[in-house]
Formats: sequence, structure tokens, C-alpha cells
Amino acid sequence: MTIQILRADALVKRVATAEGELTILEGIDLRIDAGARVAVVGESGSGKTTLLGILAGLDLPTAGEVWLDGERITGLGEEQRARVRARSVGFVFQSFQLIDSLTALENVMLPLELRGDRQAKADAWEFLDRVGLAARTTHYPRQLSGGEQQRVAIARAFASKPKVLFADEPTGNLDTLTGAKVAELLFDLNREAGTTLVLVTHDATLAERCGATITLAAGRMVGDAEQRDGVLQAARP
Amino acid sequence: MTPSLVLRFAARDWRAGELRLLLAALILAVGAVSAISLFVDRLQRALVAESTSFLGADRVIESSREIPQRFRDLARERNLAQTDLLTFPSMVFAASGGERSQLASVKAVGPGYPLRGALRIADEPFVAGTVTQRLPERGQVWLDSRLFPALGVGVGDQVSVGYSTFTVGKVLTAEPDRGGSFFDFGPRLLMRAEDVPATRVVQPGSRIEYRLLLAGDDDVLGDLREEIEDELRPNYRWQSIRGANASIGRALERAESFLLLGGLLAVLLAGIAVALGANRYARRHFDHVGVLKTLGATPAEIQWGYTGVLLVIGIAGTLLGLVFGALVHLGIIAALGGFLPVALPMPGLRPVFTGLVTGFICLLAFALPPLLGLKKISPMRVIRRDLAAGAAPAVTYSFAVVGSIGLLIWYSGNIFLTIWALIGAVITGSVFATLALVLLRGGRVLGMQAGSTWRLALAGLQRRYRENVAQIMIFGFAIMLLLIMLLVRTALVDEWQAQIPERTPNHFIMNVAPDEAPAVQELLTARTDYDGELFAMIRGRVTAVNDMSAQAWRERQREQRRGPDGPGRGGPGLRSERNLTFAEEVPENNVVVDGEWWSDAPEAPLVSLEDEYAENLGLGVGDKLTFDIGGVPLEVTVANTRRVEWDSLQPNFFIIFSPGALDGYAATYMTSFYLPREQKPFLYELLSAYPTITLIEVDAIIAQVRSIIDRVTAAVELVLYLVLVAGVLVLVASIQSSRDHRLKEHALLRALGGARRLIGGALLIEFAVLGVFAGLVAVIGAEITVYALNRQIFELGVGLHPTLWVAGPALGMLVIATVGYLGTRKLVRSPPITVLREV
Repeated sequence: MTIQILRADALVKRVATAEGELTILEGIDLRIDAGARVAVVGESGSGKTTLLGILAGLDLPTAGEVWLDGERITGLGEEQRARVRARSVGFVFQSFQLIDSLTALENVMLPLELRGDRQAKADAWEFLDRVGLAARTTHYPRQLSGGEQQRVAIARAFASKPKVLFADEPTGNLDTLTGAKVAELLFDLNREAGTTLVLVTHDATLAERCGATITLAAGRMVGDAEQRDGVLQAARP
Repeated sequence: MTPSLVLRFAARDWRAGELRLLLAALILAVGAVSAISLFVDRLQRALVAESTSFLGADRVIESSREIPQRFRDLARERNLAQTDLLTFPSMVFAASGGERSQLASVKAVGPGYPLRGALRIADEPFVAGTVTQRLPERGQVWLDSRLFPALGVGVGDQVSVGYSTFTVGKVLTAEPDRGGSFFDFGPRLLMRAEDVPATRVVQPGSRIEYRLLLAGDDDVLGDLREEIEDELRPNYRWQSIRGANASIGRALERAESFLLLGGLLAVLLAGIAVALGANRYARRHFDHVGVLKTLGATPAEIQWGYTGVLLVIGIAGTLLGLVFGALVHLGIIAALGGFLPVALPMPGLRPVFTGLVTGFICLLAFALPPLLGLKKISPMRVIRRDLAAGAAPAVTYSFAVVGSIGLLIWYSGNIFLTIWALIGAVITGSVFATLALVLLRGGRVLGMQAGSTWRLALAGLQRRYRENVAQIMIFGFAIMLLLIMLLVRTALVDEWQAQIPERTPNHFIMNVAPDEAPAVQELLTARTDYDGELFAMIRGRVTAVNDMSAQAWRERQREQRRGPDGPGRGGPGLRSERNLTFAEEVPENNVVVDGEWWSDAPEAPLVSLEDEYAENLGLGVGDKLTFDIGGVPLEVTVANTRRVEWDSLQPNFFIIFSPGALDGYAATYMTSFYLPREQKPFLYELLSAYPTITLIEVDAIIAQVRSIIDRVTAAVELVLYLVLVAGVLVLVASIQSSRDHRLKEHALLRALGGARRLIGGALLIEFAVLGVFAGLVAVIGAEITVYALNRQIFELGVGLHPTLWVAGPALGMLVIATVGYLGTRKLVRSPPITVLREV
């Protein structure tokens, strides 16, 4: 039996601007099964990143509901949403978002330390080893290449054993070859851990490797009827 | 977040250098405050100890009546040190030899005298002598140097007072409570109180002054005073150092106010530095917090985590600050070496407490608000950098304002001073925010104008006008505080030094007979650097007022006074014989308060009276006085009354006639002259040649006053330097906090091919322009504040300081351009990629 890990109902996001109210997302409905791999594609400004933020509980929609790992996160306060993130969510960002003042190892330790893991150091070391950076644990982000930084970010994302991993253009800042290696690593770990992957990308090849695709245009979902209905359970690795 | 995690976070931030500025600011805040407090505390204790030696005690109860036993009992109950003494005038006779005699001022002391300060004695007259803890043995007396030539005696000879004969044990060269009283000028004879009865000179009606000397804790003394307040009036006078010597009291009060002001300003400056440090720390953690939040850190955890880090830094900063403060204050003491008393009293606990509270309030008011804003940062920031973050500025400012006011009031205990400091700040703030805004906004420029150094700098200034206005205000405020200190210090020190200039006459001679006058003048001119002339002093008494006999006038006065206020005050008698003189000009240190000073040669003889003397006797302008001078009557009209500064250490007169009025009356002569310590033996020669001359030595008093004023001045200057250091730290902190933004732009320009000279020059010009504006802001603020402070607190003269208007902006330009350029030079020189990665 499949479990629905992520579900969104009638999401709307509007923001006030100097020129009046601007609709960023409208009428988004989707259901994602545990372990699925979903790519979110669309042109710049189509609302991909906003959707990712709302699905991950980083932001709240103007209207509509989001269920993540069984919790209706749109009904939760910032405090409780943070707890859901700590328990169930991992992130990989386009700009890596490593903390400059921490070493690679300390960056990976961070989520473990936050949840009070007593073996944070050992676990973090293990994950760095799995992304092939065991020799670079004491290096600071500025001493690492872009690809290496993103591998540290991936190690950090998987270290907390999340149920859903949100990746925002994970290869966007990398050259093709490095991007491909990083993507490979991401999919490998995803397969091993059985994590659900929600991946925002411009990269058609990357999107193809996911089982399902959500295409956004001007804040609305487009594509075939099935997709428009938000039925995304088909995609299993 | 667990405490150990907080500690780990703090350690990592420390390692990354994120906390250094904040810690440095905090150490400086606590250090400056505790160094000033420690130093002021110890100096105050030393000064009070020193100045109480003017009284020979901490407090004195003084009366022409015997001191009630109850006062002594109450003092004993409170464990206060006490001793009694009495002074009275008496003739002293040389028991052996030529029957010579001299009127002396006898002081009879009990065991324990003096409670503060020390006696100095010698074996020959007119030398400095050495400090002694002893008192004359019973049956012995110690004599003032002047008595030796006057009586023709030496140490070991016999003198008699009343019915007793005493051995001259030592020469008394100095006594602490010689007092500023110019009129207690009889040469001193010191004896034991136990020997007084046998002399039988103390009879009912004798002119005796009784004194009870007290020493001990200030609060206990205050408590005793409260207890006996009602019994003191009207016959007993309670004296403290402030009452006993007004000029020293005023100097001390002003010095305290000044040191306090310095402390206040240092706190404010350090507070600004802390706020800037915390702001920079918070800004650099916006992304950090965003990441933590995506990793699941809750707002509460963020808040507790950063508060925890702050607490760690706060505790470390406060403790290190206390140590730093202690070291600085030791440095101050070492630097001041020669000026300070050998053994400064140990400080109390208050300075340490002051430092602790300052650290705590600085954290709460200045450092916490920007960090509290961190929990509100949206985790979306990690994907969208443009999301605004941080506490609303209004909240930050209100925290800081409330914190500063609290700190200022607590620290100064003086609401008035605080309010003036704040009014100065607010006026400066609002006026200059507006002005700077207008100056900088000028016109909106397009792009970075990277074509020329100047245009690049000016465009940068205008583009970031909000930050630059804030920076001008901060720089301006720091410079303003420094200027305030400088101006007030200069005014204070000038006034103190003017009070007793170098080579102030420190000896007076009176009673010079007319036939001796030319010879005395010649002797003085030959042997000292005296170049004045002796002037006439005529003895005379008032016999009638407005055709009413003086006695009848006095009685009528007493009748009128006996109203609800009880018996009339005792004051100078109307009919006692007084020293009269004449003068063309208003004497120095005298101010006419009623009527007018005379023109060159008034037709009818006029007289000028000291205003308290006149008020006491019910005399005023227009009254007619008849004097008896050597049996000849002289009628004069009161032309004016004068206020006299009795502690000016100059000859002062109750009654001064117009020129010509006293012509033809028998006069004696007097004058004053300066004699350095090493020429003192000259006095022996002078008095041996003219034994009838009355000599008054005020050199010891002048030296004492000078030494206190010198020390206070040194302390005041030192505090100025401390505030200066705090000010420079604020400048550094402020430049640091604006560095990232400024450098990112310039690093980009460098990357795009801008020459190092272009960037460096533009930065230098930017800082220089900021400095000029800040200097201008500072000068205006300082003028306003100093005007208020000098008027209200220090009672000094006021006026604009034209040089400041040039010096302020020049100083601002120089300092800020230098500090700013040095602070950014390294980054201008490093490869742009390094800079871009770091900022």
C-alpha cells in the first residue's frame, strides 16, 4: 500500500506589490506518494521556487492546504512547522547554503546537533565519506569547489534521514559534468534511503530522470489531464 | 538547544571572528566604565582624605561655647574617632632675656590630634620640617617660626603663657588645620590641653574657640549630624571640607561632575560600539539563521541559541572588561605617579558593581535587540535573498534609548546631567540627520560613476545615503562627546589655574610703622622679586550712623531682628576697631553688588562696605557713617556694597574709603609678596630687624590648594583620554559594520577592471567627506551641550569657540579618513575574488 507523503489542495499564493496584488500560484492540487521522484519544471518566474517553499513548510500559502508526512502544515505555527522540518524534511539548494564559518564536517553535523544526536560527529563523518569527501572534513566552504560544496550540502541533507528531500536547482550552479555527478549522487542516495524527492529544475535531462513532472506556467499547473488533476503517484523509482 | 550546543556555536562563531568586535566593544564598555569608576573612587577617597586634612578631621563642630558632652557621647556610640581642641589668643613672654612679648594664637590639643593630616616640626625656624605623629610633651610648647625672632628665643628656652612657664620643645612648621582663614593670623603656639587650666588664661568671657574633631565613615557622620541637627543651631557650627574651604570644595565638586560626565560619555560611546558590533553580527547571521530554520531549528531555539551565545560573550566580555578596567586604572595610577598621594586608599566594591551592571545593560539594551530580530527571519530567505529581515529599527532604537537613559541615570545619579546629555544628543541627531540627508541627497546620480575617483566617491555617498547619514550621526556623536570633554576640561582647568596663578603672593606683612616703611620696601625689593609699594592701613571704628550713636543703632538693629527668627546672628561688631584702607579701583575678587564705585576723585569722602557686613549691621547705600580714627572724627557716605571672595588668599577689607578720604591720618603699612620656600630664612632676618611687623604666611595653604588642584586636573585629563579611546573604538566599529557593503561594491569594480588607485582614492574621499560632515555635526552639538553644561553644572563662562568650527570638521576628516582607510586597506589590496568571497 502506498502512503501519501505530500499533498496540496487548491494552493493560492498572492503577494502585495507596489503595482497591486500579484498572483504567484493559483489552483495547485497535487498528491505525492512516499518514495516518488517528482520534478517541478517551468520558466523563470513561473512560481516553481514559491511552490517548493510552500510544500516544504518554509512559507505559507494565501489559501489552500498542505499535508506533509501526515501533518496539515498549513495549520501549524512557525514553531511546529520547524519541528516537522527537523523530523521529515531535507534541502539541497542551488547556492549550496553552507555556513561559511563552519567546516564541512560541522556543516553536516548541524541538523544532527539540532535534533540532539549524541553521535553527530560520527554520523556526519560517515555521510561525508559516502559523498566522497572524507579527506575534506576540516575544510571551510570557501576552500571547496562548487561541486564539492554541493556534495557537502547533499551529505547534510541526507544526514538527518529525511522523508522528503526538496532540491532547488541542485545543479544550477555547476558545470555539466559536475552537475551530472552531483545528480547521480542525489539519485543514488535517494534510492538507498527510499526518500521522496521533489526537485525544482531547468534541466530537461534531470527532469526526465524523475518519474513524474509538474509543469508550471504563470503560477498554474499545465500538461495532460492527469497531471492537471495532480495525480502523481505513478512515479516510483 | 542544549547549553553545550550553545557553547559549541559560540566557540565556532568566535573561531570565525564573528564575535570579536562585539567582545572588544563590550570589554571596552565595561573596562572604560570600571577603570574610570575605580580610579575616581580611589582618587575621591584620596582627595577627600587629603582635603579633610584642611580640617584636621572629616568633620568639625565649632563654637565659642564649650562642646556639649552629649555630642562626644553620641560620637563614641557610633565609633567615630574624636578629639577636642581649643584656640584662644594670648600674650607669650620670653621668660629669659629681654622681656620680649608677642600676641600668639594658642592651640591646645588633646590626644589623637590631628585626626587627618599631620604636624610638621623642626629644630630651627623657617625650614620645611618633618612629619611627626607626636604632640608636645606636657610642660612643653611648640612655636611657630615667626615667634622665634619676635621673642628672641630658641629651641630649649623658656616662655610663659599666663601663670605657667613652658619649655620650647620644637619649631612647629606646619599644621593641617591652619585653615584658609586669613584672619586667624596670630603666630601659633601649640600646647597640650591638659596644661591649659594651670595658665589660668581661660576665664569666663575669654575669646575661646572650641572644636570637636570627628573622623569616620561618611554615612555615620551624616547620621550623627542628623541626630544633633536641632541642637547645633544657633551656637554650634558643623563643618565639612566643602564648607571649610570653598574654593577646594568647588573644585572637588566640579571635578566629580566632570569625571562623572566622562564616565557617562564613555558608557554611551561603548554602548554604541556594542550596538554596532551586535548589528554586524546579526546581519552576518541572516543566512545562517535561514539555513538553521530549513534544517528544522524552531524560532524559540534560534532565540534561545543566540541569547545563549550573547550570554557567553556577555559573561566573558564583562569579566575581561573588569580585568581590563583594573589594568587600565593601574596604568593610570602608574602614569600619574608623581601627582598622586603615595598610598591611594583601596577602592570600594561599587566600581566593580558598576562595571558588572554596565556590561549587563549594554548587552540588554544594545546587543540583544538586533539578535532578537533573528528569530523572525523567514527560512524562505535561503531561496530568496531579497527577503527583508531583522527587528524593526524602531524596536532596536527604543531598546537602546531606554537602556541608555537607565544607564545614565543610574550611573550619574544626576537626572539633570543626564537630561542635558540626552537633549544634546537628540538635537544633534535630528538637526543633523536632516542636514546630512539634504547634503547627501543633492541629486540622484546614475550608476556608479566609475569614471573618476571623485565622482565614484560622491556617487557612492549619495547612493547609500541612508547608511551614510546613520554613519555621520554615529561619527558625529562620537566626535561631539570628545569635543564636549575637551571644551569643559579646558574651561575647568583654566579657571582652576587662574584661581591661584604661579607666584601668587604668599606672604603678607602688616603693622609696618610709617618710619620703617621705606626701609622695609627697600629690603623687600633688594632680597625678593618684590616690586610693589606698601600701602596704608589705618585703624578706626564707627561711632555714629545717620546721626544716631553706633550703640543706639546696634540696639535698634537687635530689636528689629528679634522677630520670629529668634535672636540676631552674631557677626562682626559695629564698634570694634577695624583695618581701613582706600582704593581707586574695585579690588580684585570684589564685585560691587549695590550702588556704584566712585570716579577718580569724589568731592565728598565715600566708603564701600562688604555686603554681608553691611547687611548684618543694617547698613546700605546712602547711609552716613562717622568714624573715629585716632581720635579724629570723619563722616562719610556709603557709596556701594561689595561681595568679597574671602578665600581668594588676597588682602580683603570690610571697609574701603575713596582716595584722599584718609589723607593725613596716622597709618601703618602693609603689603604682600611672593617668597619661594628656599628663601624662607629671609623672614627671620626681616622679623629680627623689625620685630613689630606682623607676618602672615599663606604659602603652605597655597601649596596645599595647588597640589589638590593639580591632581584633580591630572585626573580630569586622564578621563578625557579614556573617553578618546572609547570614541576611536566606536569609529572602528562603525567603519567595520559598514565595511562589507562598501567593499562588495568596490571589489566588484576591481573585478570589472577598476584600478587600485581609483578604488582606494574613492574610499579615502568617501571617508573624508563623511568625516567633514560628522565634524560639523559634532561641533554644533558640542557647542549646544557645552553651553548648557557650563552654565548649569560647572558655572563657568559660556561663549562660542570659533576655532572649533574649523578644527572639528578637519579633525573629523583626518581621523575618519585615516581609520577608515586603514580599516579597508587590506581588502583594497587583496585580490577581488578573496574580497568577494569574504563579504
